[in-house]
Amino acid sequence: MSVQSRSGNPAVEALGVAVAARVPVLLWGAPGTGKTSAIRAMAQTMGLPCETVIASIREPSDFAGLPIVVGGEVRFAPPAWARRLAEAGHGLLFLDELSTAPPAVQAALLRVVLERAVGDLMLPDEVAVVAAANPPEQAADGWDLSAPLANRLCHLDWQTDPRSVANGLAGGWAAPVVPALPAGWQAEEILARGLVAAFLQVRPALACAPPSDAASAGRGWPSPRTWEMAARLMAAAGASGAGDEARSALVRGAVGDGAGVEFLAWLVEMDLPDPEQVLADPASFRLPARGDRAYAALAAVAAAVAANPTPERWTAGWQVLGRAAGTAPDVAAVAARVLARCRPDGAALPAEIHLFAPVLRDAGLLQA
Amino acid sequence: MAERGIEGLAASRLWAATRFPYLASGVFGAQVIAEPDSGTVRVDEGWRMRADPELTAGWTAAQLGSVLIHHVCHLLRTHAERAQAAGVGPDEARTWIRAADAEINDDLVPAGLELPGRPVLPHHLGAPDGLLTEQYFDGIRARGERGGRGGDTTDRSAQSGAGEAAGSWLDCGSGADGVPRPGDGTGGLPGWQAELLRRQVAQDVLAHAKQAGTVPAGLLRWAEEFLHPKVDWRRLLAAELRRAVAQVAGAVDYSYRRPSRRAAVAGDVVLPALRRPVPEVAVVCDTSGSMTEDLLAMVLAEVEGLLRALGLARQVRVLACDTAVAPAQRVTSARQVQLVGGGGTNMGTGIAAAAALRPRPAVTVVLTDGYTPWPAAAPKGTRVVVGLLGADAPDAPPWARAVRVVPD
Repeated sequence: MSVQSRSGNPAVEALGVAVAARVPVLLWGAPGTGKTSAIRAMAQTMGLPCETVIASIREPSDFAGLPIVVGGEVRFAPPAWARRLAEAGHGLLFLDELSTAPPAVQAALLRVVLERAVGDLMLPDEVAVVAAANPPEQAADGWDLSAPLANRLCHLDWQTDPRSVANGLAGGWAAPVVPALPAGWQAEEILARGLVAAFLQVRPALACAPPSDAASAGRGWPSPRTWEMAARLMAAAGASGAGDEARSALVRGAVGDGAGVEFLAWLVEMDLPDPEQVLADPASFRLPARGDRAYAALAAVAAAVAANPTPERWTAGWQVLGRAAGTAPDVAAVAARVLARCRPDGAALPAEIHLFAPVLRDAGLLQA
Repeated sequence: MAERGIEGLAASRLWAATRFPYLASGVFGAQVIAEPDSGTVRVDEGWRMRADPELTAGWTAAQLGSVLIHHVCHLLRTHAERAQAAGVGPDEARTWIRAADAEINDDLVPAGLELPGRPVLPHHLGAPDGLLTEQYFDGIRARGERGGRGGDTTDRSAQSGAGEAAGSWLDCGSGADGVPRPGDGTGGLPGWQAELLRRQVAQDVLAHAKQAGTVPAGLLRWAEEFLHPKVDWRRLLAAELRRAVAQVAGAVDYSYRRPSRRAAVAGDVVLPALRRPVPEVAVVCDTSGSMTEDLLAMVLAEVEGLLRALGLARQVRVLACDTAVAPAQRVTSARQVQLVGGGGTNMGTGIAAAAALRPRPAVTVVLTDGYTPWPAAAPKGTRVVVGLLGADAPDAPPWARAVRVVPD
């Protein structure tokens, strides 16, 4: 995609935002594309203690705690890396090679990833969980991520763009930066949750849609938990001033591509003015700056009039088009053709109609 | 919409939006900028078109509108991204653009596109209509190589391009071939918004086709594939197989047969060790008369490759099955499989025969065209993954995991 190839890897910025928001994040990418080194470099530049745990060579008891008998009861002793993170009070837990971990280890990881519980030890809230994995089709001994584990992570695709590889080799690799979130950024989370809630009212089927086939089970999919995650990530992206590309990657990573794209499309549409409000008060109409948005807004107004063509609404529609004709005569003229076809009985010919005659004539659409 | 200085732009966009209403969002979504002395109209990946006002002044509204539509199609079909994926460098960019033009023009010119000059059509490239850019591109390359030594192919095709269209060949820009041009700059429509715009157009195309039914077939196919992308059956089959094997291997993964290597620290508690049983796999092939052997061989090779990647190559047994079952063959390569049989089908006997093998297979892969009776319930003790071969194979029973294999 255009901007990705120009500004490098959108996953880098998204990774920083997810770490800042303390949302567990998983980087998918082919072996040797610099996922591990990027995460280590990020921890180093931010001065965070980083504990790397290779999930594929661990046993379930390394994450669920090793049972030991102390005074007649069984305790689940955490390993040293968990102890170190707990003592530091903050840091990065990096789970490498997640997709080559056998299913039993993945099951043991469920609590670690989301609740940061290792055996009987709770890791502090300030510990961020980051994981990396190779797509199963690229790692010979890979397993698909189990759907419950996949649902606890925000999935980011680590793309290798030849141009950024060339830049990295020549000028050194840029470490992802964890943005500092301003105090009180959680207030934005309430707003983001409101948006998600409003979207789910419109598309209730997307509130929870577990994947049906095995191939998509290992990636993000919509569930109440991931929607909450998406809201948190959106708020963090907004608060840190991250780009739209990163925000889009985060939302799609949390709830999956299909649901994510629908939500983003809905957000864009939400910005359009409500046609009924515009018809009630044509003077309030502001034409969106982008051409396709202007087209969508005017087409919606014209469609609203055509659905219920009373003389008042028809006249109001022409007033709206008249306001748009100055900046975007072509866009308005498309809507004008719709209006012209649904003239209600008894409606006087509006003055605005003459604004469109020249452009219609130039386009060869007006019979002389 | 800061398009000043291009005469007749509004009229041409109105023409385009009226003639091709399903592309209106795309036409209005693109930004048009005047760029004097470029001698062309070019487009970049950020949905910005740069037009030479002197050139376009000589065109009718329909001609400029057609060029806009043409460029929007470059963007909709992500020709720049595909060029990068195909490894097109600056020296081959011109050839690529001719191929991309052919992909767009083959059904839009018949639908009423009035491009200035002589637009590239598939028959100019010696190719049939309805192919993809990559296919046209390979065709031009192959013809070039046949015509001379490898090195000068691009020169030749570029020259022949210029010769054919005699000065009317216009550079479509980086939005068509992914090779950055000077003056492209940064900015424009961000990638994710471009994706949403593409989606909007695809929805418009489908909606228009449902109502009026006058959308060029190629564009309709693009919209359908964009909104409902086809998933590669190899990926699905691989995931189902991995899952079946993982569930079997993960089902009994703690064992007290050996002490845990961590027992030393646990005192009197006996810890189970992690055991990963290596499951046996049986492949049941339908060899009835209705099967095509090529497809079966292809799928069998795929299954075998997958199992080898899982480290299970030596555990595979293959059974050929029509109404009776041939004895199991232990094979190390798909080429060794002898498909005996023909005639009617009953996969039930095949699955029963697989379940009766000793050691009992934990995973049974059934490859069939689906025209067979099935057992009413799942066989005990083995997981069944069904590969349904052919586009119109009937459904598999609900107790099995099924993957449709459609040859591409």
